[in-house]
Parts: sequence; structure tokens; C-alpha cells
Amino acid sequence: MKAINLPEPEKPIPNLSVSNNQGLLQWISSVDHKQIGIMYLWLSVLFLVAAGCEILLVRIQLAVPNNHFLNPEVYNQLFTMHGTTMIFFVAMPAIFGFNTYLVPLMIGANDMAYPRLNAFSFWMTFFGGLLLYFSFLAGGAPDAGWFNYAPLNQYNYSSSPGVDYYCSGLLIAGIGTVTASANFVVTILKYRVNSMSLKQMPLFVWMILINSFLILAAFPSLNAALVMLLFDRQLHAHFFSVQGGGSAILWQHLFWLFGHPEVYIVILPAFGIFSEVFPVYSRKPIFGYTFIIASGMAIALLAFGVWIHHMFATGLGNTVNSFFAASSMLIGIPTGVKIFNWLATMHGGAIRFKVSMMFAIAFLIEFTIGGLTGISFTLVPIDWQLTDTYYVVAHLHFVFIGGTLFGLFSGLFYWFPKMSGRMLDEKLSKWFFWLFVLGFNTTFLVQHALGAMGMARRVYTYPDLPGWGILNLISTIGGFMMAIATGLLVFIIITALKTGEKATRDPWDANTLEWTTSSPPGLKNFDFVIPVKSTRPFRDLKRPDDADWKKTDNNG
Amino acid sequence: MIKLIIGTEAMFFLALIMAFVYFSFSADFRSHQLLSLDIKSTSIFSILLFSSSFTFWRAEACYQKGNVKYLRGWLLLTILLGGIFLFGQGREYLSLLNNHVTISSSIFGTSFFTLTGFHGLHVFAGLIVISIVTGLAFLGDYDKPGSSVIGAVGIYWHFVDIVWLFVFIIVYVVPHF
Amino acid sequence: MIVTLYLSAINKAQSIFDSASPQAEKINRLSYGFLTVAAGVLLLVVVLTVYITIKFRSKENASEPRQITGNRKLEILMVSFPMVLVVIFFFWSLNTMNAINPDRAGQKSDIIITGHQWWWEAVYPGSKVITANEIHLPTGRKLLLQLNSADVIHDWWVPSFGAKMDMIPGMDNFLWVTIDKPGIYEGTCSEFCGEQHAWMRIMVVAQNPADYNKWLLAHTIKTTIPNDSLANKGEVIFMNSSCSSCHSIQGTVAAGMEGPNLTHFASRQTMLSGMMDNNPQNVEKWLTNPQKIKPGAHMPRFIFSKDSVRAITAYLTQLK
Repeated sequence: MKAINLPEPEKPIPNLSVSNNQGLLQWISSVDHKQIGIMYLWLSVLFLVAAGCEILLVRIQLAVPNNHFLNPEVYNQLFTMHGTTMIFFVAMPAIFGFNTYLVPLMIGANDMAYPRLNAFSFWMTFFGGLLLYFSFLAGGAPDAGWFNYAPLNQYNYSSSPGVDYYCSGLLIAGIGTVTASANFVVTILKYRVNSMSLKQMPLFVWMILINSFLILAAFPSLNAALVMLLFDRQLHAHFFSVQGGGSAILWQHLFWLFGHPEVYIVILPAFGIFSEVFPVYSRKPIFGYTFIIASGMAIALLAFGVWIHHMFATGLGNTVNSFFAASSMLIGIPTGVKIFNWLATMHGGAIRFKVSMMFAIAFLIEFTIGGLTGISFTLVPIDWQLTDTYYVVAHLHFVFIGGTLFGLFSGLFYWFPKMSGRMLDEKLSKWFFWLFVLGFNTTFLVQHALGAMGMARRVYTYPDLPGWGILNLISTIGGFMMAIATGLLVFIIITALKTGEKATRDPWDANTLEWTTSSPPGLKNFDFVIPVKSTRPFRDLKRPDDADWKKTDNNG
Repeated sequence: MIKLIIGTEAMFFLALIMAFVYFSFSADFRSHQLLSLDIKSTSIFSILLFSSSFTFWRAEACYQKGNVKYLRGWLLLTILLGGIFLFGQGREYLSLLNNHVTISSSIFGTSFFTLTGFHGLHVFAGLIVISIVTGLAFLGDYDKPGSSVIGAVGIYWHFVDIVWLFVFIIVYVVPHF
Repeated sequence: MIVTLYLSAINKAQSIFDSASPQAEKINRLSYGFLTVAAGVLLLVVVLTVYITIKFRSKENASEPRQITGNRKLEILMVSFPMVLVVIFFFWSLNTMNAINPDRAGQKSDIIITGHQWWWEAVYPGSKVITANEIHLPTGRKLLLQLNSADVIHDWWVPSFGAKMDMIPGMDNFLWVTIDKPGIYEGTCSEFCGEQHAWMRIMVVAQNPADYNKWLLAHTIKTTIPNDSLANKGEVIFMNSSCSSCHSIQGTVAAGMEGPNLTHFASRQTMLSGMMDNNPQNVEKWLTNPQKIKPGAHMPRFIFSKDSVRAITAYLTQLK
């Protein structure tokens, strides 16, 4: 179908009292990918605050041994909701917010392939989260942990409706996630500007493409498990109840078949963001464009072949354990080698230390720590000692925060001017960076030791064993540092939106198409798109003598 | 797009089928399958469902050629055949319930009703969509070829039938060997 | 890791590095090997990061640097080097795994430990001894622990002994351990099992074979209660109230299977799975209001009178 070019109205149509004011109704009914993207981001901030408060309460309870600040019933709900919220309602919506806002802009499209589906996906995520949180008012939040093992999740061991809300909330949000992913795939494959081939797409878009396939393949396993659990709880089916002939371990298989790809689902977009940030702030192309794509694909494929490493201590036998130990070690390679790609990108460059780049550089070290502790778990005997201890908690936070969250922060500081038309205060943002990084390391470095010292995870209190008290106290203090830093971040964002310095179209001298639009872009992203002949079309336009497409040594 | 949806739904059915197969190795399972399930009448209803794939394929072919009257006819036939299949499923469910085989009676009941139930749900959803398309066809929306809707619905419907092929073999046929 | 080693050196807390069995020792060797390599990798990344960010910081008004897009040779090297490490550690870990936890090959279990919400049951096959929470084991011999669950998934973990193993309802899981020296070894349940998961502590009392056999023998003999009217009163209350429907005391009519076996209860150092010391004051507190002490525990609050509480306590504390 031929596109018809309608010019934007310059003045409001007279006598209709149609104003430019974007009231609430306009946002709620919007199908514009940029507005939906922003709504996703605010949703993730809302749930970040909720999940953050939950864990601060937990950390207060754990600050000293034998504490009675919280009773175990409340504690178990808090840590369950913290994990569930952070993964499904902070990380995923934040990632989708960036995806939905940026993907069309980066490929020269004016919106997603299915704008109304896009809105639907957002609202499903929103209502799924609300449903999950409604459980607090309806008899109790889920309290069996974010991975909700059977048979603890059965109605006779968890009689409050919390687990039912967990199932339904996640099922609904899951519909949003899956539909959004299908939308991304079609948009990326079919809506690129004519001149952009797959090998000229920005790496962020590549990662989202790979990621979307991962989501489409992984979420059904979770949906199946949730549905089976609801049947068990509501219809007295026997999927996971051992007395009825069911299998407790089936839950673990189904959950981790989803759960392991899920962790790659939340890290691949961060890898994509870093692959955009490093080149811009080093003023060099990404080192090994094709290699990074290939490693992303390798991760996506291998992701489905490693899930048993969450179950090494369940007694599946050494043959099974060996196979999955091998696959888990293998997947560590494409994941980790990219660190060197990014280092090589910086090497020989001209590095500018904007806050976005600072988070990227910090990520290199933090994620390496998290990755190495992850690899320690692929050595089965080490896993046998350290699984289900605070060592795991340390590991997962180093990769989730040091990886995913730092990626999101890096992306935030990079793209905020484009999205809002304002600059974030650089000086305050540096304070935020240092406070957050300090707080993060304080909270979680000590937890490696706690795990090795024998502290199990998900315990509402602990005995006064030597060293446990002081390390937990340090961890709690770090947690509060992160909380203060997060508060500072919200302040920085809100003041920037109100009175921030106006942003130009291209504040960072960047390379990709989104920077060719105004800041923020108009309702219609592009009237026309600049020619795309390489992975850095905007730079090619700005530096025609040194354009990428003129060079033959493209190692990309 | 529809292929992506098929892909993700296929993974979902894969998970349900794997659970079914996993449980089929437990003690009384096979005897339940042989005693409670009526392979004869279900085969007939299955053939009707597979035929509905054929009729939809014909409907699509007619649509491409602009043959509106036949399009409408084949669509109606598809709905009829799909509806009879669901009726047959309902009949089987009723007889199982009367024999006290329910979703909570045993692990067989649990896995059987879940797997076939979700399949039936997908058939039902498909029939609703085909009915809407048929209604629109009668209103003249598909008088000329060029829309991708009928093709997309076709892919979904064929998928539903292929899933049933696997489910039928695993649930009804395999225990006889 | 440094913190862990330091802390475990200055105190008697048992970390994974305080190995008390050859199994734990083997794991530690693997751990040290891995930690060394991992530290090397981390050092490399840190050094490179610091060096690069300092050396290549942007100078004012500098021209754009050379636009290098990649280096195939370097990329291949970057993949090959970790591959080599992977192969080495894979085989080393496999070796350790098979050495620590070989197939049990039909060997009979030395002890059957069943996890309950939130206590440990121990059955000693070959003798009539059933006990709870304080687990006695002989040293110097390779023992086969059988691990079961009566309700949800639990996990048995004593860091000094090495590996942990899940206890899954409907499954028999096994763990080998050879305890080097007598002593008290602590651990904890390591799979979230509900409200009181935190207070499902493990206490293993490892004894040399002679002492162990003595303990085992003593546990088969019924305790005789001295002629103490309060204790006798307590025994009567115990047998006639609901106590006996949940708890067992060998040699009496109390044969309940719901709660921990209380035979020789007073010989145990702690109560409530390591939550508190086993002394009369704590027993009284517990009997007065279990839900206040360990909320969620499956023992309901019986509204005993103060006298009854004292009597039952007197009885229980005589069960040495």
C-alpha cells in the first residue's frame, strides 16, 4: 500500500476547542509508541518504588540477628513480592518502554506495526501488576517465593489467595509481554526504512529482535505452569501434588524452562543499550558488530538448554548434571566475551565521561563479577555448596543490577534528552551515580561472604553467629544508600522535566536515526529519512568524508 | 504475525503435551486411557475436524479466485464440521464425568482434561473468528481478493488441527501399542 | 572470599571452607582453583577498564580517533581462550562431582532423614531408634544419608560436610558423607519451605564409633522417670491430652507421627530445630504459647494451666 503524506496541522482547527494539551485521557487512549513507551517507563518507576520499599523492610528485619521487626508471614510476602515485582513489573516494563519508544525511531518508522496492539500490551502489563498487588488487600500477597515451588504453592500449604493472584497477575501481564514481542518482530522485520538492511540495523534493535523470539518461545512454559497451578489450587487437579500422583519437580522443570531464558530476556536489551552507548561516548564504531549479533543468537539458542543448572541439588543424577553443566559453561562464553568487545570499542577512542558512559564502564566490572559467580555455579560441586544461599542472592543482584539496571540507567541518561527535550542535571546525576554504585556494592559484596558462611536465602531471621550480624548490617546500610540514591534520581528526573535545560536534537554527537528527529520527536517521527548505507547513518551524514559505507575494511 | 502467534502457542501445547507424556508413565495411567477413552467415536469426530481444514483450504482457494458464493459455502461447512467436533468432545467429556473421571479424580483426569480442554478452547476461539469472517463474507467484505485475513485465519485453523493430530495420537492411539 | 576466610579463621562459625569431610575438602580444592582463575579474569577486566578509561579519555578539541570496526583474529582468540578454561574446569568439576556423590549402587542407607515443616526426623535403619532434630552420626566411615520429605521440598545442608541435597516428597535422594572428626556441626534447611524455614537449623553431633554406639544403645532403652510427683503428673497429662496423638515417646502409649519424636528429648542440646537452648524455662515458654515462640508451627496453642505446663515440663525434662 502506498503511504500518503499528510502534513501536520500547524494551527489548531478553529472553533473546535481542540487543544495541544496532553491531558490524562489522551495518554490513556494513546496508541502512539512514544507515549506508550513513556507510560511503560513510569510504570516501572512506580513498581521500582514499591519493590524497593518491600526490600527495605526486609533489610531492616535482617539488620540484626533474631529480630522481631516483622513476623515471618509478612516477611515471606515481602520478599516474594520484591522478586516478582522487580522482574515482571520493573525490569520488563522498563525494557519494553525503551523498546517501544526507540525501535521505530531507530529503524526510520513512524510507529510500531500494530499500534493498538502496542497499547493493549501496555495495559495488560499494567492490569497484571495491579492484580498482583491487589492480593495485599485480598487476603495476603503470594508468599512462596518468586519462583513459587511446588508443593509449597499448593492450596494446602499456601491457603491464602496470594498464589492465585500471582498466577493470574502473571498470566495477564504475560499476555501483554508476548503480544508486545510479536509486535516488535513484525515491526523490525517489515517496517525498516527501505534503505536499511538487516546488517545495517543498530545493535539495540538486533538485540530486541533476538530477545522477542526468546520471549515468544519462553513465556508459554511459564503460562503452562501457572495454568496448571491454578487448576491444582482451584479445581483440585493433581499436576504438582504428590499425594494425587503429581510431580513436585515438574513445576521446577516448567518454571526454569521459562526462568532461565527470562534472565537472558532481561540482559540482552541491556547489552543492546551498551552497544549503542559505548561507540557514541568513545567516538569509535562498535568493535565486532557481527560478532555481537552472533553471540546474541548463540545465547538465545543455548538459553533453552541450560535450565537444569537451577536444579543441580534436586537429585536428577550425575549424567543429567554433567550435560547441563557443560551447556551452562558454554553459554557463559558468548555472554562474557562481549565485555572484551566493549573494552576494545573504548580502546583507542576518545572517551567522554557523561553519566551514561559512567554506568556503562561500571557495568563492565560489576557484570564481570556477577558473571564469574554465575560460572562458579556451573561447577556442580560448587553449586552443591552454594546454591540457595546468600551467595546466589549476591550473584543475581550483580547481574540484574550491575547488568540490567545499569543498562537501563545508561539508556536513561543517554536517551532522556531525546524523549523529553530536556537535559538531566549532569552534576547531580554524577552524585547519583557514585551514591548508587557505592550503595550497590556495599549491599551485595558482603552477601557473597554470608553465603559461603552458611546463611541460607529466604530466611526471616538468623541466629547470632559470628560475623553474620555485622555483614547483614552493612548490607542493610548499603540498601538504604541505594534507596536514597533512587530518590535522588526521581528528583533529578522530575526537576529536569520541569525546568531542565532544553536539549538539542543531537546532544551527544550520536550515530543512529533517532537522533535526526527533534527532541522530543513530533507526533509523526519522520517526514523523510536520511539515507542509510551503514550502521551509523547519521554519522555518515555528519562526516561525509569519513563515512562508514565508503570503507572496505568493514569488520562489522 | 500469525506465524509468531502460532509459534508461541505451539510452545504452550508442547509444555502441556510434555506434562501429559511425563505422567503417562505413572502406574494406572495406561489402563485409564484404555478403559475410559472411546477411541472409536473420537476418531470419527477427529476425521471431521481434519476435514474442516480441507474445507477451509477450499474456502481460501475460492477467495483467491474471487468466487464469493463458494467461499461462503466452504466457510459455513468449516464451522459446521468444527462445531460437530466440539459437540463430540462435549459428549466424551460428559461420559467421562458420569464415570467419575474428572480433573481432580486422578492424574489421568488432570492431564487429559487440561490438554484436550485447552485444545478445545482454541477450537472454540477459532470457530468464533471464522464465524465473524463468515458473517463479514456474507456482508460483502470478501467479494474481492487482496485481504490477508482469510489466509491468517487459515494458518491458525490448520495449526489447531495439527495440534489435535498430535494430541489424538498421544492420548488415544499410543496406549493401544 | 577474603572476608569469609578471615571471619572463619577468627571464630568457630562453620563456613564452606571449614571442611570436616573429604567431600567438602574436594569441593574446596575445586573452589580455590576456580576462585584463583576467576580473580585473574576479574583483575584483567579491572586493569583493562581502568587503563583504557584513563589512557583514552577525550582531550579537548581532539579529532576523531581511528575508526576500527573489529579484528577477526582477536575475536577468535577471545573465544578460544575461555573455551580452554571451560574444558579444564568441566572435567575437573565432573571428576569432583563423581568422587563426592557416586551412585549409591544398592547400598543401604545409614540414616533416613525426613524433612517436615519445620523439624528434622531421623530414623536409624537396623535399630529401632527414631529421633528428631539433633542428629547423631559416627565419624570415620563413609555414610549414606537418605533424604526424604513429609510435606514440601526441604534441603539438607551442613557446609562443613560438603554438598547439599533437596528433600522432595515422593523421591528418595541420597548424600554421601565421611565425617573426619567428632564435634558439633551446624547447618540449615536450604530450600524455602514456608513460614519457619529460617528456624529449621541442623545440628549434627558427630561421635567416634564407640560413643556413637553407646548413644544408639541408650536411645533404645526407655527412660525411667524417677518418683517425682510433678513429673508423673506431667506424664499423665501428656498421655491423656492431644500430646500423644502428635508425638511419640518410645515405650509409652504416645505414638503420634505428626510432630517430632520426643524419646530422650532432654538429652538434646537445643529445641525447636535449633531455635533455642533446651532448658526448662524455654520448654515452659513453648508449652504456654507455641505460636508466640515459633509462629506458624503446626503445634496449636493448647490453653494449659500454669500447673499443667510446669508438670509437663517436669516430665519432658526427665526424658534423658
